[in-house]
Amino acid sequence: MSPYRLLRYLTRIGIYVLVMLAVILSLAPLVYLFITSFKDPNLTFTLPPVWVFEPTLQNYREVLAGGQFEKYFLNSLVVALSTTAIALLLGGLAAYGFSRFRFRGAFWLRMSALVPQMLPPITIIVPLYVLFNGLRLLDTRWALIISYLTFTIPLALWMMIGFFDDVPVELEEAAMIDGCTRLGALVRISLPLVAPGLAATAILAFLYCWNEFLYAVILTGREARTLPVTITSFMTNRAILWGRIAASGSMVLVPVLAFALLAQRYLVRGLSRGAIK
Amino acid sequence: MLPVSQPLRSLTLRKFLRRVEPGFYIAPSFLVMTIILVYPLAYSLWLSFHRWTLRTFKQGIPFIGLENYQQLFSSPEFWNSLRITFTFVFLAVAIEFVLGMGLALLLNHDLKAKGLIRSLILLPMMCTNVVIGLTWRLLFNYEFGIVNYYLNQLGFASVEWLSSPKIALWSVIVVDVWNTTSFVALMLLAGLQSLPEEPFEAARIDGANSIQTFFYLTLPLLRQTILVALLWRLIDTFRIFDVVYLLTAGGPARATETVSIYIYRYGFQSFNLGFASAASYVMILIMLAIAALMARAIGRAETVY
Repeated sequence: MSPYRLLRYLTRIGIYVLVMLAVILSLAPLVYLFITSFKDPNLTFTLPPVWVFEPTLQNYREVLAGGQFEKYFLNSLVVALSTTAIALLLGGLAAYGFSRFRFRGAFWLRMSALVPQMLPPITIIVPLYVLFNGLRLLDTRWALIISYLTFTIPLALWMMIGFFDDVPVELEEAAMIDGCTRLGALVRISLPLVAPGLAATAILAFLYCWNEFLYAVILTGREARTLPVTITSFMTNRAILWGRIAASGSMVLVPVLAFALLAQRYLVRGLSRGAIK
Repeated sequence: MLPVSQPLRSLTLRKFLRRVEPGFYIAPSFLVMTIILVYPLAYSLWLSFHRWTLRTFKQGIPFIGLENYQQLFSSPEFWNSLRITFTFVFLAVAIEFVLGMGLALLLNHDLKAKGLIRSLILLPMMCTNVVIGLTWRLLFNYEFGIVNYYLNQLGFASVEWLSSPKIALWSVIVVDVWNTTSFVALMLLAGLQSLPEEPFEAARIDGANSIQTFFYLTLPLLRQTILVALLWRLIDTFRIFDVVYLLTAGGPARATETVSIYIYRYGFQSFNLGFASAASYVMILIMLAIAALMARAIGRAETVY
């Protein structure tokens, strides 16, 4: 082997090693959490750490005992699904409007929809708390759905503009010449074509709601509590119940991991608010 | 008269309808956003000039002028939280950018299982922040955490990751870097892959080495993507709440108390909502200033090409 080819070969190995290192570092804490969730609570803190042990479902059983977890799981699910549906409908329509029409002020209107995504959540939650308190909506799913719309509508809007831009206008125009109304052309022609984009946007919006903590911890109590808040309830005054935190955390992460892998092609686009296609 | 004016009227009507047609699609979402955002923001501005505490709000919410703001700016803790926020934002984003750029350059090679690698390294970014904060709290535990255990195995002393005021901020930075570097990398990677090939071929023919190519060609050509990536990282790091809250809750001794946590403490632990609103407004103004600066930089970068 010539020295030049050897060098290239070694560089290639070096690249793979570094990339694998990045992958391992990204996954290690999550893997550790999953492993801990199957350990007997007494083994959580044994040093040196035990990696080979008899897996037990005890932590999961303790989390699920009492039926509270299911209730909060349902809250998380209902809030995230409702918010996603509303945001997709409103944001999708607006995205279509921005994608298909040129009008004065369109650019600034579109830009202004970025502001809610920039606002620190803590600054909106103070007035929202007083507002929902006055409306007697504290500790209801509605309070969460309404406040989650502040970030999911702009997300859906920005992501869907890109997907609608990808659909050729000519297709809709042809349908309209054949007698379709514009709304008909949107529903029959464009909607099926943006379906993958719509799915990706839905997944991302769902995950943002599913993961949200600050609004949930302030606006809900015993009734409308969601899963991220439930996890923190295992940090009691007397002790932090790490086994239960690991088990409930793992359960919360399962849909996240599944959806993230499903929508991975569109994640960067969504996370950069449509700035990258 | 009639046969002439009839089509004319319908023409203007059609014209009018065509002009308002975009409104039909766009108005609903902006209406909803206005109601759920502008009203709270206006209310919070009003609140920032009033006294609202849990003890006094039943008796009324008196106007107190700039008192909340005066109290805020004379509070050393507020300045402390600003200093900590900016230190954290600056260090975290800088490290994420350097590491992210390195990772992007690595991933820009023709690798096997590219899609799988990309989705695996992006997982931390998608995870529930509460879980991330708590998992790292477990890993960083001084006595029983495995980070210290393996450091000991390698011959290093245990580090007080979360309990030393000097180190805690660095631990928060480590977690944020772990959480978001892959996102920066994948954004930059998307930018790298959209670059034209010709300038790079020309550079190779002219005998430029890879370091020269990177600094004189890749970086300038990538400016737009870099600015957008930095903009979002700056804004998101500035807003961060849940990871810090669960990792350190702002401690020890306020060493990791960012502005968000400062506001949370005054708003929802002491329930001084007027004061918290004043602090919120200062935070919003700072954020708008950052966004405006970056938007101008991006606009300027756009005109270059």
